[in-house]
Amino acid sequence: MSTGRSQGILRRGWSAAVGDYAIAGGWARGGDALIVGDAAGGVYAFEGKSGAKAWAQERVHDGGVLALAIHPGGAMFATAGQDGRILIWNAAEGQPNHAIDLASGWVDNVAWSPNGQWLAASCSRQVRVYGVDGAEAWRSGDHPSTVSAIAWAGAGELATACYGRVAFFEVPAGKLRQKLEWKGSLVSMALSPDGDIVACGSQDNSVHFWRRSTEEDSMMSGYPGKPSALAFDAAGTLLATGGGSAVTVWSFQGGGPEGTRPGVLEFHARTVTTLAFARRATRLASGGRDGAVVVWSMQSDGEGDPIGAAVVADVVAELHWRPDGRALAALDAQGGVTAWRIA
Amino acid sequence: MNTYPKVPVTILTGFLGSGKTTLLNRILSEEHGKRIAVIENEYGEVGIDQALVIDADEEIFEMSNGCICCTVRGDLIRVLGNLMKRRDKFDYVLVETTGLADPGPVAQTFFMDDEIREEFSLDGIVTLVDAAHIEQQLGRSDESTEQIAFADILVLNKTDLVNDEALDGLEVRLRDMNRMAQVVRSERANLPVGAVLNLGAFNLDQALERRPTFLEPEYPFEWTGVYALEPGRYELSLAEGPDPAMSLVVVSDQGVEDAALREGAEWCVRRYAEPAELVRPGEKMAAGKHVSLQLDSPGRKSFFLEMDAKARIGLYAQHTAEEFDLQLINAKGAAIRPEVERTWVAQHEHDDEVGSIAIEREGDIDPERFNAWLSELLRERGVDIFRMKGFISLAGESRRFVFQGVHMLFDGQPDRPWGDTPRRNQLVFIGRNLDEESMRRGFEACLM
Repeated sequence: MSTGRSQGILRRGWSAAVGDYAIAGGWARGGDALIVGDAAGGVYAFEGKSGAKAWAQERVHDGGVLALAIHPGGAMFATAGQDGRILIWNAAEGQPNHAIDLASGWVDNVAWSPNGQWLAASCSRQVRVYGVDGAEAWRSGDHPSTVSAIAWAGAGELATACYGRVAFFEVPAGKLRQKLEWKGSLVSMALSPDGDIVACGSQDNSVHFWRRSTEEDSMMSGYPGKPSALAFDAAGTLLATGGGSAVTVWSFQGGGPEGTRPGVLEFHARTVTTLAFARRATRLASGGRDGAVVVWSMQSDGEGDPIGAAVVADVVAELHWRPDGRALAALDAQGGVTAWRIA
Repeated sequence: MNTYPKVPVTILTGFLGSGKTTLLNRILSEEHGKRIAVIENEYGEVGIDQALVIDADEEIFEMSNGCICCTVRGDLIRVLGNLMKRRDKFDYVLVETTGLADPGPVAQTFFMDDEIREEFSLDGIVTLVDAAHIEQQLGRSDESTEQIAFADILVLNKTDLVNDEALDGLEVRLRDMNRMAQVVRSERANLPVGAVLNLGAFNLDQALERRPTFLEPEYPFEWTGVYALEPGRYELSLAEGPDPAMSLVVVSDQGVEDAALREGAEWCVRRYAEPAELVRPGEKMAAGKHVSLQLDSPGRKSFFLEMDAKARIGLYAQHTAEEFDLQLINAKGAAIRPEVERTWVAQHEHDDEVGSIAIEREGDIDPERFNAWLSELLRERGVDIFRMKGFISLAGESRRFVFQGVHMLFDGQPDRPWGDTPRRNQLVFIGRNLDEESMRRGFEACLM
């Protein structure tokens, strides 16, 4: 199949390329720019409408970019890499305003707080929180193992996942508010928009989740692989999970998902690598190792129908809906960046 | 869609001081044209330009079900997953574990994690052994025992610090613990790269193509003496001993180095498999043939050997020279001392808790009975079974079925057709306190 060929609601938009495996990205400036970081350590910006290269900075992270997060305001973003460095950038100019050097080790995750006040980053067993000026506001103690995922539960509360537990810290005070334990290696994490449900993919091919208010937990097993891709919809009703070539969608409506059957969305020929819900519509995008990008129209019970599909050149690394939901961008393992208009 | 070949991974284990870092540096500094990434768990002194060295803290992740086989190395999953995203991909990955590491979780990572399985193939486990200290270490720690049990290659290192007799004894012990592993000796980890990389030890098809057996030989001879001889007639004199006959092979042009002895030994294994020519006292022995010296008459007996030209010969004898007071005497009546002597592993002595069980049988296997037997064995004894490998002849299947496992993780598939080769079964288990008799009976009950 040729790159970019598409069907259904995905309409030809533009395609571009970065220097190596496109690791992470996101829409900035309200959708006017798409920022992408690659495995060669380069950071690129493309015009949202045309895909023209706005600017490029090659080899800013020695060893490669590991994480990228767009500031909620859209004017700034942060990158982190194998060089143990965090950079805070101006999205329009393509220049880092602040550089933070951690002692050593890979910086695996970065995430902005929903109000844009704080930037959290994880490196090895620690998480650190910085202001927009790059000043360190808080630093955790050592976690029991390398922090695998971080997520903001609210403006002043950060969740961290590692082997055996999810912890919630008050930021920047640093107080440990809650600890949810599970003997397993948690490889991914997603929080429901209201912050009550914590879902984690586990190395033992299951999804584990907790309701924070009651501390009740459940395990959804039977996945053929480890569920590294997880996504909640904007209403907090649907949790889409990878962990195989099917997308498995759990519905939290009514008493679910305990005791209910999930929606099983089959299209991909190989493992699903990334999942993203559109912000306003009940649309889910999935990407896989097969290079396929599929858009699903979802129902509240977790079932869905494919309404658009396209193929890119290699494994889909990430999918990003433009904030207005009218475009979808895919980053792939060959450094391809493809954007479609949504009909 | 691009499909890249899987990147081979070699795991390097061994106690502190066994020479892992030295071997690593040798591999990296050799001109092999490979782009090698090294993952280390303890800060070594590796600093070679063309290699990428990544330090990672060893993180062992157990799963909720508490099964030892579901233990993986989280640090490897994370580091390897990121490494493979680069366009300048690596041709080879070396994982150097800490001296106290359990090789189980490292090996299991390559079976358990779907993403790692997709990108990497475990090539082999190389364990370095400090010849001077391993005896003490084996007595003190489970880790050193397990490192030996898991190995595909056992490097008996620092051989210059130990006398030959002790080395031979040590090799006997190591081979007894792990009959799957090849033992190689080195002084300062001075091994060619080819001896440790690209072994295909976990690719059974490839491994069997190279060597049609998973078992390292148990030699049918106990002793070798190498003698430098001038042309002439020699007398091999033997006193009365424990047996009425002794097998022997005379190898012409025998070298004295360890590698030459090994080569001679492999050649003699095949000669020993041939029917022996009986040689009575006073008769001449032919070189290069399996002969059986007849020793049932009383007193010392002599056998003769003619040398046309000056040469080194190797005597590969079924028993040690001591047992029969074996002497080689020249035409002037003077006894000649061997230039080199060495003893070989000849029989099992199961002193260690960890040992190998090898089952070799002809005949076809009932697939259902075999499946039931192996499932139960792994369920009940999987914790104690470190490695297993085998090929079996399933009834009604035209292809050889090959399998391997690490603890309870089992991986098997039909491989090439049997064709004209005789259908047979070979299974090797390495484990702790395995009951050989009951396993043998269990397997035999699966035969049609």
